[in-house]
Amino acid sequence: MNKGNNPSVETRRPDRAALIIAVVLAAIAAVIFWDVSRLTGLAGYSQVGPMTVPYAIACCLIALAVWTAIEAWRGDFPEREHQQAGPVVWIVAGLAAQMLLLNTLGFSIATGILFALTARGFGKRRLWLTVPVGIAFSFAVWAVFAKLLQLSLPAGPLERLFF
Amino acid sequence: MKHVFLASILAGALALPVYAADYTIIAPANPGGGWDQTARSMQTVMQQEGISGNVQVQNVPGAGGTIGLAQFASQQKGNPNALLVGGYVMVGAILTNNSPVSLKDVTPIARLTGEYEAIVVPASSEIQTMKDLVEALKKDPGAVSWAGGSAGGTDHIAVGLIAKAAGVDPTKINYIAYSGGGEALAAILGSQVTAGISGYGEFESQVKAGTLRLLAVSSAERIEGIDAPTLKESGVDVVVENWRMVAAAPGLTDEQKTAVEADVEKLAKSAGWQEVLKTKGWQDTYLAGDAFEEQLAKDISATETVLKDIGLVK
Amino acid sequence: MGTFDFLLQGLLVAAQPMNLLYALIGVTLGTAVGVLPGIGPALTVALLLPVTYQLDPAGSLIMFAGIYYGGMYGGSTTSILLNTPGESASIVTALEGNKMARAGRGGPALATAAIGSFVAGLIATLGLAFIAPYIVKLALVFGPREYFALMVLAFVTVSSAFGDSTLRGLTSLFVGLTLACIGIDQLTGQARLSFGVPDLLDGIEVTTLAVAMFAIGETLFIAAQGDRGPDKVEAVKGSVWMNAADWGRSWKPWLRGTFIGFPIGAMPAGGAEIGTFLSYAAEKRLTKHPEEFGNGAIEGVAGPEAANNASAAGTLVPLLTLGLPTTATAAIMLAGFQQYGLQPGPLLFATNPQLVWGLIASLLIANFMLLVLNLPLIGLWVKLLTIPKPWLYAGILLFATLGTIGANPSVFELGMLLAFGLLGYVMRIFGYPIAPVVVGLILGPLAEQQLRRALSISQGDVTVLFTSPIAAVLLVIAALALIVPLILRARGRGEMLAQLAASED
Repeated sequence: MNKGNNPSVETRRPDRAALIIAVVLAAIAAVIFWDVSRLTGLAGYSQVGPMTVPYAIACCLIALAVWTAIEAWRGDFPEREHQQAGPVVWIVAGLAAQMLLLNTLGFSIATGILFALTARGFGKRRLWLTVPVGIAFSFAVWAVFAKLLQLSLPAGPLERLFF
Repeated sequence: MKHVFLASILAGALALPVYAADYTIIAPANPGGGWDQTARSMQTVMQQEGISGNVQVQNVPGAGGTIGLAQFASQQKGNPNALLVGGYVMVGAILTNNSPVSLKDVTPIARLTGEYEAIVVPASSEIQTMKDLVEALKKDPGAVSWAGGSAGGTDHIAVGLIAKAAGVDPTKINYIAYSGGGEALAAILGSQVTAGISGYGEFESQVKAGTLRLLAVSSAERIEGIDAPTLKESGVDVVVENWRMVAAAPGLTDEQKTAVEADVEKLAKSAGWQEVLKTKGWQDTYLAGDAFEEQLAKDISATETVLKDIGLVK
Repeated sequence: MGTFDFLLQGLLVAAQPMNLLYALIGVTLGTAVGVLPGIGPALTVALLLPVTYQLDPAGSLIMFAGIYYGGMYGGSTTSILLNTPGESASIVTALEGNKMARAGRGGPALATAAIGSFVAGLIATLGLAFIAPYIVKLALVFGPREYFALMVLAFVTVSSAFGDSTLRGLTSLFVGLTLACIGIDQLTGQARLSFGVPDLLDGIEVTTLAVAMFAIGETLFIAAQGDRGPDKVEAVKGSVWMNAADWGRSWKPWLRGTFIGFPIGAMPAGGAEIGTFLSYAAEKRLTKHPEEFGNGAIEGVAGPEAANNASAAGTLVPLLTLGLPTTATAAIMLAGFQQYGLQPGPLLFATNPQLVWGLIASLLIANFMLLVLNLPLIGLWVKLLTIPKPWLYAGILLFATLGTIGANPSVFELGMLLAFGLLGYVMRIFGYPIAPVVVGLILGPLAEQQLRRALSISQGDVTVLFTSPIAAVLLVIAALALIVPLILRARGRGEMLAQLAASED
């Protein structure tokens, strides 16, 4: 990804990030063609079979890729604001941590970490404080939803300690 | 947040008991479907009858139950407190999806309920009997469109079997798959298709109201209270039953398995369960032990044959 | 006893103080659970149904009605305030509602949603009571070809959610259509674009995609602005209530939304979302303030919210008169009705009038309770926006993942949530609209399946698509909706259209 183009002066230059989008769209179309070609026709009595619609979508995607490339070449994409990578990395790390820890450490701890890392992404740096707060909050939420409302949320060591 | 706490207080006041979980029932489908309803009915009855202090239902939807099956087989190994609801549809889905996990990888405990397929036409249809329908099918298989559940499911299998028994090429059937029972029923009522096939319960109230004509049911013998011949009586030698079962985790010791079997038997014989069967219109087809395993093996091989005939499995 | 007496009797029972309390509890519980992103009305009702079993039949029926309406309404609050729709039917609400909230008009947006839901619920419930048998006949006329024509019309109207660039709107739509191809093809049982991954066989869950692209994408985008974004949203600018102009601009969309949503909800393959799309498109075409669309037009909240609630009542039409559960929510409700000894079907109105009218009276009371609960709460809800950003967004992600985990606790599902969240973020950077992706995912399979069913039934005869009168009319409307703006543009009329043209060539 392109981290922010300089505004005004260079707007009429080819927009590299947008060109990449065009390539990605074309690649998706190629994947559809490759995957769908392996299906058996098996259309029954309709001439529109399981392959027809994906093929049509792939063709449109290629047309859109060309259109995107033209706009990118002429620099017609709107200006983009500068994106800070740091906060995004923190939040993505939080979501990934929750995903990986959920089944071993249980809902409260995994989600507490997500909570703290998201707050970190928004500038709350004191993780030693936010992690316990997050876990406590998540535990309260877990107790309400899993125990009172019978929603099935994975339990871990912390939850088993209390219930 | 205030809201959530308010909710917790209110729910608490409504006396939802808080115990440790005794059984977790996995319903390998979304809320609302037959397996989910079976699991939630089991939950209610097991708690009511004191078979288990607390029962949790967990939905693991996907791919005809094979996702739930695979997850159950791997994550619950050796856990005597986990149960899985499944059924005939799962047998077909394992084959059509090339699922790496099959019913051999769990411990089938018992068949609980079953439902027979019913073949109906709209009341305004010219077709009066199953024989008429078979005649039409023989004349031009493409002109007879069948509305039913998902491709490769019980309904589709039943149509394939009917075609085969009638001497029609099963690959030539014009089967229109619908996702839920409701949509298929609407298509039949609106005369969008020639005939419809689904569990009898789906059609019951329409048949009683006279908006659908029941041609035949797929049981071996006539069912009490249903005024329709069996397929066999109509000259089509087909019996199909859409059953639902409960399975336990793989890797249980014999004692653990016996304990689960005893609990399930207690459930199936309880007054609460019989009441559920009555309100939901499910047939009691409780079958456990070796007899069940034998039946299961027979169903699996028969299903494989017909799915190959229709062309869904290679 | 006549129809009216039954209804009156039902209302009298439902209006007893204890039953009113049950209705309030039901609405509160339903809203509390339904407000979570990713937990739609289906799961809400499934979770809370056992709570109602503890009560006497009248009480449990009324609490159940409260839960149903509460769950339906809960999603729109987060949609408007936080741009995180809880389920697919409130996606359209987020388009204008969140813009209003950011401009300090969250109060009027929530109010028009609440009152619009009430008005629509009231009219639609009365419609259910008095014209259900006729509506259901209309719904049954709809076969695959009519549905296909309806989908074509829906596709044409989607362009009203495209934002300022046709290229980027279309690209978003086709990304959604591509995602829609993933999974088992319903009509032949073959897996498409699943690459042997079993978790993909059932396709992409609409709620997962919506929660990821809206809630997580939005959070990432706001975080990446660093300190430059507005420090705190000004929660209330002007009045927290609707002013005279708001009322004047809301009442017609409420009525139109109701008349679009109710029949579409009653159709077995309709679904609440489609009514909201059509209502939004209609309001955008009819408004006197086209410049406000995309920047917080109150009509764009009022119409779809009314359509959403009207279709909730519409769903009950085939359920009660035919015993047809047309949505997951309806299937769970069917299970619930059976607990109360109510056997939906063609004979229900004749054999069990007390229960049916009791239910309809309960729905009316629950609908009223929803208003009683939510209007005073608006002030409180709007204060959500004043929570400091780190805690607000940490909380949003907590509840967004809670919804997903509760519906399907799989690592794969969370992985998709993260992946689509990133996709939503990248699309926001480049100015791609988000709603068309979700719309494509919803409409794509419906259109494809109905087309193939229609052709299969006709054994390949294409002309059937145009020969049914209803399908023909729908297709003509779709064609007009497509062609008329083109003609207008060719004549150089309309500022908005001219701008569209400029960005295209």
